[in-house]
Amino acid sequence: MKSFGKYISKHLASFSLLVILLLFIDVLSFLLAFHNIITTDYGPTSPKIMLEKAANASAEKGISEEMKQALEQNHIWAMFLNSEGKSMWSVDLPENVPESYTLQDVAVFSKGYIENYPVFIRNTDDGLLILGYPQNSYTKLTSNYYSFKTIKMVPIFFIIMVAFDLLFLFMVYFLSKKKIIENTEPIIASIETLSDGRPVSLSISGELFEVAESVNKASRIISSQNQARASWISGVSHDIRTPLSMIMGYARRITCDSEATTCIKDQAEIIRMQSIKIKELVQDLNLVSQLEYEMQPLNKKVIRISKLLRSYVAELLNTGIPNTHSIDIEIMPGAEIITLEGDERLLSRAINNLVQNSIHHNPQGCEVTLLLDCSENTFSIIVKDNGIGLSPEKLQELENKPHYMESVDDRLDLRHGLGLLLVRQIVDVHGGTMQLESKPQKGYQTKLIFPIKNNFKASK
Amino acid sequence: MDHSFLNAKKILLVDDEPGLLEMVKTILKDDGFQNIVTAISARDGINVSKTEKPDLAILDVMLPDGDGYLLMQQMRGFTDIPIIFLTAKDTGADKLAGLGLGADDYIVKPFMPEELLLRIYAVLRRCYKEDAPWVHLASCTIDFSRAEVIKKGEVISLTAMEYIFLETLARNEGKIVTVDALCEALWSDNPYGYENSLNAHVRRIREKIETDPSKPVSLITIKGLGYKLNIRK
Repeated sequence: MKSFGKYISKHLASFSLLVILLLFIDVLSFLLAFHNIITTDYGPTSPKIMLEKAANASAEKGISEEMKQALEQNHIWAMFLNSEGKSMWSVDLPENVPESYTLQDVAVFSKGYIENYPVFIRNTDDGLLILGYPQNSYTKLTSNYYSFKTIKMVPIFFIIMVAFDLLFLFMVYFLSKKKIIENTEPIIASIETLSDGRPVSLSISGELFEVAESVNKASRIISSQNQARASWISGVSHDIRTPLSMIMGYARRITCDSEATTCIKDQAEIIRMQSIKIKELVQDLNLVSQLEYEMQPLNKKVIRISKLLRSYVAELLNTGIPNTHSIDIEIMPGAEIITLEGDERLLSRAINNLVQNSIHHNPQGCEVTLLLDCSENTFSIIVKDNGIGLSPEKLQELENKPHYMESVDDRLDLRHGLGLLLVRQIVDVHGGTMQLESKPQKGYQTKLIFPIKNNFKASK
Repeated sequence: MDHSFLNAKKILLVDDEPGLLEMVKTILKDDGFQNIVTAISARDGINVSKTEKPDLAILDVMLPDGDGYLLMQQMRGFTDIPIIFLTAKDTGADKLAGLGLGADDYIVKPFMPEELLLRIYAVLRRCYKEDAPWVHLASCTIDFSRAEVIKKGEVISLTAMEYIFLETLARNEGKIVTVDALCEALWSDNPYGYENSLNAHVRRIREKIETDPSKPVSLITIKGLGYKLNIRK
């Protein structure tokens, strides 16, 4: 979302450049289009030049032959008035143009036309030189006066106009950018959510409605596929349960059978132990997939963690653990009253997975300790053992490598147990984090850290 | 553990899988249960429970002609024997549905035979208390019907609190009972702030039931967890 804003800002520079380029093109095309006319207007046949030349070439008596030809060539007529308003001489004077003028006549035509011919005058020592250009060749502004104030205001006005234009353009740009971000932000956020495999629901009206609908459709497809996967796993794990119960039941019966030989009993014991492994796998697999696809309804209530840990350890001891192993519980001062709003069954399951991991990975025996500790804002449940521990590489692998449930990678070395993945998921849904620590021969510990809710003291 | 009086109870198994029925029956017989009746459908279950009058029913949740919850409701119409569900569903909601209807326990497949037996005994013991409420300890006998301890011919009476404490432990004979469970039984509260009272009760009880209260053999402290009561067979 922020990256999108940045993306737009990056385009502000190119947008400004584009505006400047456009202005430049406008000026250039104006110059190209008007070049010829402008050069004619101010060129050798322009009134200014012609008046200059004609004034130099004429006198009270007449005009030079050369100038006369130049005037004729350009279809310009000329007339020279003396101080009484009488024409002294003329060149190509049209028939309808009078040859004598009053003072009022001169005042009127000096700014404009004689019989629709635009005329240009020049005062000389001997009289008034008048050049008449063809009709419709020039327009004369007959009232070209501006107040001094107006002229003075023009540059300021121009600067203000440009500033206003720029501001206006920026405002339009800013608002459209804002609108785009407003409309696209939820879509981009949803796509990010979708890429995590979680469902979204977008409701956007307007032009982006169709995009939002497509995102929703994609989400529905992902959800239904997730649902199908979870149902499939749940179905398989369901169907495997009854046959597995029977395998476990009969295997145990053989191990207790007084008529069976030791060899057969040992083999039955292997079947029983392996069946227990499958049982745990089936249970974990189902729960992992339910949590993964957010299909596990959490049965949340306020749990006193110390009580949960004691009940768990008591039950574990009551059902029995191998003689080689021992389990201990330690509640740090102040941690007794810590509560968490969570799913008791899932938390017990997470702790059980960690304890069982310690037992399984230390067949030679070890001491497992459950520790409940708290600090200012967090509390932690620590499950540790004094067993064989893990090498740094193996530890890093456990921490960083994705589990095959979350990966499309077929590599077999990713296929470590489901137990830890399930613990992580359970910790996640309770807003906690998980830390692993281990050194070879120095034991292994998992720390589950949860935030403390402010009201935990009140709920004592 | 002495299960002889419990082994005389008649158990009804309802499951549509004949193989599983046969196996559970074998497990129960191996452990001393003699009266076992079976049914393979809900309708069959109703009929058998009416004619055989079992003392405990173990029901599968998924039956060909209806689910186990419905079967339990129907059975509740004419009997209030304890009921344990046996099911392949392990979601929390299912568990609540089972216990919410008043089931006594709920076992998820796949189960270990030991687990099944433990649950059956626990439910039976809870529902069918032994006629003579005597509990024999290493150096005394507790008579719960009179709230008395008989130690070396001497009769010592128990206070209400001591009675509840010992009764809670005796019900879970040989098993660890957490301080939480004890405090809930005694004060309907969590142990926070009750450590001293609990210790005081333990001290007084030990004086009444142990030969040497400083070296207890019957009422054992399990560090950090709770207590357990060792019962003499």
